[in-house]
Amino acid sequence: MGEVNQESTDQQTIKRPKLKRSIIDCDIHHYTGMEVLKPYLPRIYLEFMKTYASEGPSAAGFNGGIGGRMVDAFPPGGGHAGSDLTHMQEHHLNPYNVEYGILTGLGYGMQSSGNYDYAAAICSAVNDYTIEHWLSQDRRLRGSVFIPKQDPNLSAIEIDRVGGRSDMVQVIVANGASKPYGNRFYDPIYEACVRHNLPFTIHVGGEGAGINASPTGAGHVSHYIESRALRSQVMAAHLASFIFDGVFDRFPTLRVVLQESGVFWIPPYLWKLDQDWKALRVQTPWVRKKPSEYFRDNVRVTTQPIEETPRREIFDNMMESIYANETLMFCSDYPHWDFDSPLLALPKLDNELWDRIFYQNAANLYHLPPRKSEVREEQA
Amino acid sequence: MTRQYFVAQVSEIAPGAKKLLEVGGHSIGVYNVAGQFYALRNVCPHQGAELCKGLTTALIVSSGSGTYGFEREGEIVRCPWHQYEFDMKTGCMIVDASQRTKTYEVTVDTFGVSVEEGKVFVHI
Repeated sequence: MGEVNQESTDQQTIKRPKLKRSIIDCDIHHYTGMEVLKPYLPRIYLEFMKTYASEGPSAAGFNGGIGGRMVDAFPPGGGHAGSDLTHMQEHHLNPYNVEYGILTGLGYGMQSSGNYDYAAAICSAVNDYTIEHWLSQDRRLRGSVFIPKQDPNLSAIEIDRVGGRSDMVQVIVANGASKPYGNRFYDPIYEACVRHNLPFTIHVGGEGAGINASPTGAGHVSHYIESRALRSQVMAAHLASFIFDGVFDRFPTLRVVLQESGVFWIPPYLWKLDQDWKALRVQTPWVRKKPSEYFRDNVRVTTQPIEETPRREIFDNMMESIYANETLMFCSDYPHWDFDSPLLALPKLDNELWDRIFYQNAANLYHLPPRKSEVREEQA
Repeated sequence: MTRQYFVAQVSEIAPGAKKLLEVGGHSIGVYNVAGQFYALRNVCPHQGAELCKGLTTALIVSSGSGTYGFEREGEIVRCPWHQYEFDMKTGCMIVDASQRTKTYEVTVDTFGVSVEEGKVFVHI
């Protein structure tokens, strides 16, 4: 820091020779950062910037909540929401009786970078930080292996580096991608997933960012609410790609998790895939069973943000149609603003279905032990 | 049968400010909007968050695509979780009045004292 200051002082004292003849300079950058622009901006945008903690000139960062977080999730001692394990324990893990929590990190920006080696370095750093500061500090927590998925070979190296650990339970990528995830380009990733028996989780994010494809089939939309509603479009493309590019034929034990793009768009989409497969099977004969059967066998879905249906019977029908007792797993998205409460996000479920969604399906997928309270009951 | 609870001196809750407290077994938020006091039950009817910990804002309105306006400054409470908006005066959600949290009558007793020294009571 001292050196920089010295340099800038030196620059101030440098005397430049004066040109004898006058000139026109056609490119001089004066500073127009957001803080000098604020007095000139309409109030609504000042409020958006403040509320969503997004000060860039692109409105893509207008999220929800306060800076995208629950207002009441910030640690009392200051700092970012989700940055303080003690606060997370008191505010979330303990009161909601979380027996195991899967950490999914924050920000998948490195996965949309054209600099693959840099992306790999950031992913390794996320994984090492998570192991050292979170997984080793609370036995309830499990980690996700971040990979530079735009380079499948580097990704496989990272999965081999940390994916064999018992506290790393899945590989995670952003929804935004340059190619649908069923493309054989990604096969080295799935070979590594199968090698370490790790599910491949696609989490919402990065749609249309950096090297990734357009966030919707119709291009870029104007508002956050639109991109939020249309993330399922991208997820739907990945799901069909897994089935029809034959990933589950090449890697029958691979499990894929669809995270945070909604839930109930999936059943009608499966109906359509099943129907079209009957007519078009000859074009993809390696697809050996109905698409919905691949979904049941190989795909899992997390709940948040689950759609609120107009009537209870619609909810029940959709739950049955998505085979919720086998495929659905609760998640809260803590501490993000659209958090789903374990108490009230879903309507009252019968005991068995509740148990599948809130514990058993995830325990099966992530190879986690049975619930401790049950063990105690059995021992008693 | 309502009971009257003392919640604050007038000077404790400045215009634009709020006070969260427990009275009679209820968690409530007491708001001062330009000298007028309102009280809300501190529970969001959607997923049970502590509603009054959210932002206190204006009602954002529009006369057409791309235009924004501000009405009813300080009368709208946004839930800290999903940012559903509630009208402080009625407890109703702005876009769906059937979603509603309780409101309570608030009175200010300034008998024999200045307004600032007055006592704010909530009737529950």
